[in-house]
Order: sequence, then structure tokens, then C-alpha cells
Amino acid sequence: MAGLKTGPSRFVTRRTFLRNSALAAAAIGLTPSGVLGAPGRTGANARLVVANIGVGGMGMTHVFNMLRFQQEGKVQIAAVCDVDDNRLEAAVENVGAGVIPYRDYRYVLERKDIDAVLIATPDHWHAVQTVHACETGKHVYVEKPASVTVREGQAMVTAARANRVAVQVGAQARTAKGAWQTCRAIRNRIVGKVNRVSCWHYANPVDEKPVSDSPPPDGLDWDMWLGPLPWRPHNGRYQPANFRWLLESGGGQIRDRGAHQFSTILWCMNADHQTSFTVEASGRPPTRGLWDCPIDMNVVYRFRNPDWTLEWGQPGNKVGQTEFGNVFWGEHGHLILEWEGGYRPANPEAIHFQLPPGGQEVYRTDEYEDFNMNHKADWFKAIREGHLRPAVDIEIGHRTATLCNLGNLSYLLGRRLAWDGEKQEVIGDPAANRLLARPQRYPYVL
Amino acid sequence: MTLPPTGCLHAPSAILMCSDRHRGASRGSTCAELISATGTGLGATLAPASEPVNDLVRRLRSPDEQINGPACQAAVAYGAPAVRPLLALLAEPDFELSRRAKRALYAMVRYAGRPGANNEARDLEIELLGGLSTGTNASRRHVLWLFSEIGSARAVPSISALLSVAELREDARCALMRIPGRRSTRALRAAFAAAPEDFKYALADSLRQRGEKVDGYPSQKRLPTRQTTVTPSLGKAK
Repeated sequence: MAGLKTGPSRFVTRRTFLRNSALAAAAIGLTPSGVLGAPGRTGANARLVVANIGVGGMGMTHVFNMLRFQQEGKVQIAAVCDVDDNRLEAAVENVGAGVIPYRDYRYVLERKDIDAVLIATPDHWHAVQTVHACETGKHVYVEKPASVTVREGQAMVTAARANRVAVQVGAQARTAKGAWQTCRAIRNRIVGKVNRVSCWHYANPVDEKPVSDSPPPDGLDWDMWLGPLPWRPHNGRYQPANFRWLLESGGGQIRDRGAHQFSTILWCMNADHQTSFTVEASGRPPTRGLWDCPIDMNVVYRFRNPDWTLEWGQPGNKVGQTEFGNVFWGEHGHLILEWEGGYRPANPEAIHFQLPPGGQEVYRTDEYEDFNMNHKADWFKAIREGHLRPAVDIEIGHRTATLCNLGNLSYLLGRRLAWDGEKQEVIGDPAANRLLARPQRYPYVL
Repeated sequence: MTLPPTGCLHAPSAILMCSDRHRGASRGSTCAELISATGTGLGATLAPASEPVNDLVRRLRSPDEQINGPACQAAVAYGAPAVRPLLALLAEPDFELSRRAKRALYAMVRYAGRPGANNEARDLEIELLGGLSTGTNASRRHVLWLFSEIGSARAVPSISALLSVAELREDARCALMRIPGRRSTRALRAAFAAAPEDFKYALADSLRQRGEKVDGYPSQKRLPTRQTTVTPSLGKAK
């Protein structure tokens, strides 16, 4: 069995650890791809050296994607990292020889041979790890939502630009076929001018089995799991995976599926530039348990010039057949998009839509049928070509996360917020603006 | 009882109807309806402040979610007079009761933070100060984060005092980071001068974020420290 825990390794010194890591990297002959290309750019046929940070759930999807790219000679997986040794061991076993395991992502960032990292940690870690990776010159693929606060998102954009790296946010629909077919149909007015987009999604779960605090399970570094969050004792309802149901670490479905849907909707509506809006949210809070996400939730965003409304609904007005989706309501009818056009095909009307004379075509990377692979291929392309602007560049990911985060903020504050996208502040509401940033526990800071 | 918000200058029930629109009263019912249904009977005539608050506490203590849930949602309307009883609940060992108190306090703080409610926010802040000197460390930690949302210069001395308490100092630092103005910056500077060496790095980071110059104590944010027990695979590369 690979990645066995052994007694002596518990007492390894930092010096020994670094030496062993360096020797292991040297033994498998890893060379950063930039060595083979022009300064600041990878060579056209260079193999990127990558590391996966966070290898539970979606993180393992990324590992398996990277294994396929590795088989195709496009990447070399140099490291895997997780704060839970049990998950880390499983990842090592899957990747096989040559990969170095780490608990602390900062060891990964110290390695000069690594070009790029894929981050799939709980949301409260995304911004800190992305900013630090950018600062060490790594390209980043980070799971959605990009951030948990507006100020984190701004810092991510700044770090990407200052360090000239490509940061792709994992809202894959913009490289998925179903969403692309819907996008070109909507943009070319299949239903006329769209004035409203409504989303439906099932409710957030309630913590039906609350438990008292307890020591963390063997192998989990609880302090590192919390990272930037305020310290508190471990509770078995935080993890694994349950982080999604706490507003501070997961933000509920509006920040999970919502991040997918809002990204796709902004794309279809050609509205990435519409950064100012009002937001008004209501919800039904849980009455027990650790989780605090609202069970039901309704959020209405109003955009101006052009005028349109975006509605998030849990459960909302379910028009399609699947668990979640959205509807574009236009002058001449409506068009449904189930899921976000990734794991489900587009509506047949969109699939068969013929571009009218003079119509507007929409670009999409189409190297792979699997949209998870395709989204990463798009990221590689941005790195390889040196333009550093993948399909869901961090600026777009930040704007999408801003919709999610301000939806939750409006719910928490119980009032309508008017958002100035230019200044990135709530108009006339100092208390709301205070919550656009969250102080982070040292040293897990931006 | 709190002052009515703008546009709701009548009975407490009207206050609740206004305030609960976004607070998530279930399925369109207003907080006034919920209170009526659970027998609070605040009604149009305000009872002495203590009795409604005592009743709120009784309902929060109820193990019946049909009673404690609506009570938690309705707490926003009780304002400053309800703070001390809620702080007492926050420190209770029953974790579900403590959570309800925490959620009620957060709802109150966020409601009082709305534009134009400065007096309400001030009254709430003054009452919350008591929560920094009493209760458990866990409850005081929550109070510090409440102050991060509503605290003003008035709260800075009480928060600063906790910068020397090992278990609470990091939360106190974070709370001060969210309080605007020179007073909180001066408090961070004073704490930096007196802090033990291992805490100076965090305080230095806070001061730099506020545009202050600090000699030494470089950022440790990218310094790796945590090591895994998992070893590399000896098998084949895949």
C-alpha cells in the first residue's frame, strides 16, 4: 500500500523533510516548464509541473483530471497536499510514485520546480492560498466560489495581475458545451430581449444531528483546517464536506451552485461589465444545529442599463426537471438551462439553434468533451499562449462571487443593499461595508 | 424596548412586521404573527421592558423548535434590554441554547447596524460591553466578533484589555481590525509594544494593514510549519 504512515516520519525535522522533498523532486527530474520557454512563459510544448492542494471531494476530480493530462504528457503531478492525512494518503496512492505529500501548502509554494497549483479546499481558504500562490509565481486553478468576502476577491485579482499569472476559477460552465449552446442562443435573441432570469434550487440541509464539540479525528490538523477562521474547538458537523452549510466557510448553495449559475448567466447575458446592482434577500434560518445557512432563500438582484432582474430561489420556481437550473425569460418566450449546462445537455431549442445572418458567435475552448477537462485545458492554453486570461479569469470569478456574497450579506443584515461596482462598496451603509472584509487569524492572512 | 425604525413609529408589532421582512419569518408570516401564535402577546401596548424580555428568554429556553425558533427570529426587536439575558444564555453549557442566543445576538447587532439607527447601535454596544468581562472564554470570543461588527471607539479599551489574554488575544486583534479610526490603531500599537514575542508578528501585520510602519517582525504568512505523517509512494508512477 502506498503512502503508509510510519512511526519515524512523525518526528522528521524540517531540514530532513525539505532535503527529502528536494531529493525526491530531483530523482524524478522535474524541471519547471518556464525553463523550456521564454522568460515568464512556458514553452509551447512544455509539460507543466503541477500540485493539487486539497484532495477531498472535488479535489480528487482534479487529481484524476491531472492524471489523464499526465498520461497525455501535458503535466507532471509533483505534489499533493491536504490537512487530513487520511485523504492525503488516498491521493498519494492514486497518483503513485514520484508525488510528494504535504500537509502545509506553503511547502508546495516553496518549490521552485512547480509551475501551477489546483486549489480545492473549503471556501474560506481559497483567497489566502490563491494570493500566496500568485506571490510565488504559480499559476492557479481555484475552485468556485473564488472568495468568501469582496475584499478577498479584490486581493486575488490584484495578486494575479501583479505577478503575471493565470488564475482560472472552477466554474466550468463557460467551457461546457451545453452552456455555450445556450449562451449563443440567448445572445442572438432566441427568446428576444431577456428581462428576467430565475434560478431554482432545492433547499439547504438542516443539521439534524447536532453533536457537542470533540477532539479532531486522527490525522486531521484542525488548526490548519480552520486556517483564517476564528479558532474554536472541533465539532464533527464541520467536516468532511459539511463546511458548505456554514455561512463563513461554505455560504450554502447560493455560493456553491449559485457560483456556477451566476457565472453562466452573466456570460449568456453578456453582462460581465454590469458590476453595479441592488440586492435584496430573505430566507428561513434553521432552528437547530451547527449549520446556519438559510433553509429556503430568495434573492433578487436588479441591474440597470440594460435593465434586467436575476432571481435566486430555494426552492424558487422550478420550471425544469432536474435538481437545479435557471430560466431566461424573454419577450418571445423562455429558455431553460438545467444544471449549468455542464453535466446536463442544453435545451434542444438551444442545441439546434442556427446563428442568424450577422449573428454573434461565442468563443469556447473545445479540446475535450468532458467539461472538467476542458476547463483545465482552457487554463493551460492561457498559460501556454501567455495571455493569462482563461475563460473564468479571476476578475470574472470575483464578480460572480460578489453576487453570491452580497446575497448572503443582504440575508444576514435583513436589508436591501445598493452595490457600487466601480467603488466596490455598499452605498450609504457603513455597517455593511465593514462586513466586506473579514479579519483573518494569523498567520493565515492575505 | 428599542426605538422603532424609520417608517414604523407605532406599536411593537409594527416594528416586527417591518424588521422581519428579510429576517426570514417562515413562509410569509410576520414576526408579529409568530409572536402572537406562540403566546407572547406583545400587542400594541408595550408591557414593562423586563417582562417581554423575560418571556423571550423563556421561549428561547424552550426545547420546542416551534417556540424557540420564532423567538430567535423575533429577538431583533428587543434591542439593548435583551442583551444581558442573552449574554447569560450564550455562556450556557447547553450548546443548542448557546447557539440560539448567539444567533439572536447577531441578528440584533445586524439590525441595529442599519443606516440611521445610531442611537440603537450605541445602546446595544454599551450593553454588550458587559459580555467582555463576564462569561466563559468561548462566550467572550463570540462577543468580540459581535463588536467587530458594531463596535466603535467606545469599545476599544475593553477589547484592548483582552489582547493580553492568551486565549482571546487573536479574536480581540481581529475585532479591533474592523473598528475604524485612530483609537483602535493606537490600541494595536500599544499592544505591540507590550506583547510577548510570539504575538508581535500578528500585531505587526495588523498595523501594516492600517498603513503603520513597523520595524522587524516580517510576515510569517508564507512560512511553512506543519508536517504530514504520510510518506511518498514507493510504487509505480501512474
